[in-house]
Amino acid sequence: MTMSTGKLSRPDPEGVATAVMDFINATIMARSRPVRPDDDLELAGLDSMALLKVLLFIEARYGFWMPDEDLVAENIRTPRAFATYICRRSA
Amino acid sequence: MRTPRLRRLPLRGADLVLAAMQSLWKHAGVSNNTLMVVQCDGPIDPERITRSLERFLDFCPWPAARLRRPFPWGKLHWAARSRAALHVPPVRQRRLRAPEALHAELEAELNAAIDPRREPPLRFSVLDYTPEAAGPQSVLVVTWFHPLMDPRGGQNLLSHLAHLDEIDGRAPWGGAPPAFVGNPDPRPLKERGQLGRRSQRYMRTLTPVPPVSPGTGLTSPGRARFRQASFVGDDHGVGGIRSTREICWRLALVGRTMAELWRQRGLPDVPFLVPVSVDLRPKGEPGPTFGNVLAFHFARFRPSETADLAGLTRALRHQMTDALRDGQIDANAVAMEFLKYRPLSVMLRDLPGTATRETFSFNCADLVDFPAALEKLFGRRVVNAYHAPSVLPRPGIGVFFNRCGIKNNLVVSWIDGAVTEDEVARIVEMIREGMGWQTAL
Repeated sequence: MTMSTGKLSRPDPEGVATAVMDFINATIMARSRPVRPDDDLELAGLDSMALLKVLLFIEARYGFWMPDEDLVAENIRTPRAFATYICRRSA
Repeated sequence: MRTPRLRRLPLRGADLVLAAMQSLWKHAGVSNNTLMVVQCDGPIDPERITRSLERFLDFCPWPAARLRRPFPWGKLHWAARSRAALHVPPVRQRRLRAPEALHAELEAELNAAIDPRREPPLRFSVLDYTPEAAGPQSVLVVTWFHPLMDPRGGQNLLSHLAHLDEIDGRAPWGGAPPAFVGNPDPRPLKERGQLGRRSQRYMRTLTPVPPVSPGTGLTSPGRARFRQASFVGDDHGVGGIRSTREICWRLALVGRTMAELWRQRGLPDVPFLVPVSVDLRPKGEPGPTFGNVLAFHFARFRPSETADLAGLTRALRHQMTDALRDGQIDANAVAMEFLKYRPLSVMLRDLPGTATRETFSFNCADLVDFPAALEKLFGRRVVNAYHAPSVLPRPGIGVFFNRCGIKNNLVVSWIDGAVTEDEVARIVEMIREGMGWQTAL
């Protein structure tokens, strides 16, 4: 996660997973059905449009757009998978 | 149970769009019915459905409501009297002489247009038949006036009825009934007004010329028809979000089948305009039952672009992303809410092509998974379930996906005169091939 010290630090995978999860829970999921970092997002009910919302969140928060070739299950299956990808990209 | 003498539920958003679009064809007697067809592994007792409906009306009156608009400038709404005055919607039972009669019966249901001003907005049919290789089976058909609810709402209603059937005297929903209708948008009127006007401006930029459809030029529409086929086969990756499961991939594939139809008919290469419905319910729980809880994204692409399926999928995904980034999908939902202040005749003025009744090029939707919670229904196991909505004469054709267990269902709905059965068969085969599916036994 980008720290507010004015200097960019390497994102912390746990913090990124939490940020992605919090975004999904706040804007996509029903309040009574929050997802956790290792939950399968498709099984949780996220459709194509919801996943695009997550990509827009990543763009706004981490400053890059996930290219089409990276939109594979390994990178988007769970909040933690997103976090792993984001950290790899930001390293 | 004491209830107010008269209860009202205003039609909102997409409900009004669906009602207004049908009004373009009011003199042609076009059906606005939609079907949910649930195939069970044994006979269903219609009495159990009736009892569940009776109980449901204690909590929610809308299945027994009538459509009302007291004055042309008044709000179109569902009106229901006190509980004592409500009657259960019809639950019919019919014994079919042969399984082959089932499809004709379903198409008859689709065409027997519900007039919600004079009758309940939904009805149930239990169609019994005996296949050669199995014992007696039932198909439960829920038919409703489309502006009452969307397919997800239809599934929710069935879940509620199944719950009431199963509780065996206990308090339904643990004593806390769910919300059957959604809440109005809480944002201030000024903010919603700005969003609505932004959507109006955007809609005017969608297509430079009215779209062309298979129904273009059709002045005497025939019956509503549909063809349903079940397939098996996993979704597979072709380089994108969830690959063949993604709506953009499916839309591109359906677009390719339509492009072939365009080529065969010599239709012009003007851009397709296709509404893509977006379910506004929060994910993970059923959400509201009544009302079409939808917004729309409008996909645009030329028939010639369908030659590169992967490229078109990417382009459609980027188009959808741009619409999300610009807030156009949210703005569309808000703009549709404002329609309640207008008479039906002027509701669609901002949509391209409605002056000439050329609304869209074709319809396409993924109605997603039939809920696993509905695995059992009225004591029977659900074998398969799908939706078959009627489409308007223009565009005259729609392609609808859904999944029930391991079965991928494909429904092509059309209007006789817009396309032929042979053309529909070709479309189904092209989609099966493109998806890599095998016919389900």
